[in-house]
Amino acid sequence: MDRTLEFKELIAQYCDVAAEDLTEDMRFREDLDFSSLGFMSFLGDIEDTFDVELDQEQALKVITVGDALDMFNDLVEA
Amino acid sequence: MKKEYELTAAQNMHYQWIREYKTQQVSGVSIVASIKSPLDFGLLKKCIELETERYGCLRLQFTKPDKKGNIKQYIVDKYKADIPVKDFTGMSLKEADDIMQSMAYETLDGDDRPMCEIMMVRLAEGYNGFFIHMDHRLIDSCGIVVMVNDIMQLYTHYRFGAEYPQDLADFEKVLENDLKKANSEKRFAKDKKFWDDQLDALGEPLYSDIQGTKVLEAARKKHKNPKLRAADIERKELFVAVKDYVLEPDPTKWLMHFCMNHQLSMTNLLLLGIRTYLQKVNDGQEDITIENFISRRSTHDEWTSGGSRTIMFPCRTVISEDTDFLSAAYEIQNIQNKIYMHSNYDPALIVEEMRKRYKTPADTSYESCYLTYQPMPVRMDNPFLKDIPMHSKWFANGAATKKMYLTVSHTENGGMNFSYHYQTKCLTEKDMELLYYYMMRILFKGIAEPDMTIGEIIKAV
Repeated sequence: MDRTLEFKELIAQYCDVAAEDLTEDMRFREDLDFSSLGFMSFLGDIEDTFDVELDQEQALKVITVGDALDMFNDLVEA
Repeated sequence: MKKEYELTAAQNMHYQWIREYKTQQVSGVSIVASIKSPLDFGLLKKCIELETERYGCLRLQFTKPDKKGNIKQYIVDKYKADIPVKDFTGMSLKEADDIMQSMAYETLDGDDRPMCEIMMVRLAEGYNGFFIHMDHRLIDSCGIVVMVNDIMQLYTHYRFGAEYPQDLADFEKVLENDLKKANSEKRFAKDKKFWDDQLDALGEPLYSDIQGTKVLEAARKKHKNPKLRAADIERKELFVAVKDYVLEPDPTKWLMHFCMNHQLSMTNLLLLGIRTYLQKVNDGQEDITIENFISRRSTHDEWTSGGSRTIMFPCRTVISEDTDFLSAAYEIQNIQNKIYMHSNYDPALIVEEMRKRYKTPADTSYESCYLTYQPMPVRMDNPFLKDIPMHSKWFANGAATKKMYLTVSHTENGGMNFSYHYQTKCLTEKDMELLYYYMMRILFKGIAEPDMTIGEIIKAV
């Protein structure tokens, strides 16, 4: 599966928007209704699913789907 | 052959309380949900039976403890217990509630047996519904709300032709996934590191009590250790009383607006209110720990699979009196966010680590206050039942493992209910009154003047 789509599939497990309808400008809290717990669990899931190590301080600055994708792509391409 | 699973950390938390306090009563959870409308009890029974098929956690049973006292869980194919109708129409709602309250004190003893009892109820004033008494290892309060709604959606489907409710997530699949995560060595190491790092950075926690420093002083005398930082837990007399206070809709809105405007969660604001009170009555103590319950439900599957996903973690903050209110709130939020990320961890291991490091006496603790914030009201969210008055109530199980356990929930009219469960052996209603009074004074002073320091707020209230 395309890596971006796989990443969006993971986001879709936490919200009411289907993976294919997620756009990069969507904000996790305001648009996708993520709670603090949901967002932090999602970060943990990124680590477990893709076997990457997030920088927590940087991850906490993520606001939009695009921010999360950029952070994720930087990690897997590093 | 039945497939057996070990307990999850959340289930194990309840099981360890049962073992420590030697009664299943500490793990009881009961609720009545009713509407002011005639109900077809034959149909309601069918819907409840259907729910036991849809919601796998209702069919959960436990094995007999092994030689070490450990148990396993398994899911039976069919819920076999009877679902009788109980008639309470000859008495007031209050009298019926009192009877159901006494039923909530009953224990579900034994192994390899259903851990859930359901009965349908006819109540006074035309209310009809059902009462459920079960073990917390099967379900938590969010799970109960989902279940109540699902039963009524099934009922309105068959009765009024409403849409059939969507499938609920497979409890067993979610359980397997949870256990897989818990057994992941990499995840475990990350979580353990987070909790160990906190102890490395801050050292041994320090007990703080609702009644002030005298409690820790008494523990220091009892254990003949003037440097002791933990205080005793009541193990024998577990009777709990409940005192509820309702915050009106307008002030509730002010709190919610403050949270929204400052991107804060209500849990963190409440934690700040409690910890500032503890700081005030414990001679300005800066190092405060409060146990906070979190319901680990984030994904769709976690929301609808039932099960017991609520687990408590210590929220420890060291906040000096010259920190302003808003910065203190963010400090709590920062630590809570990190805790959320490491909430797969078994909190029993945190306690074990502290015992190992600090050699605290048995039956002592660093915390006197426990908080649960429930954003979900117990309400039947069903368009076919709109405008029909409802009567629902959570019943305390009557045995507290915790000195003071505050549950904050939202009321139907937009207010908030502060429900203080307290061990009567140690605390009185007056203690709860003071705690609520000062919590409110602190919170409203803080949201009105968020630049005020914690020290200034403590003095002002």
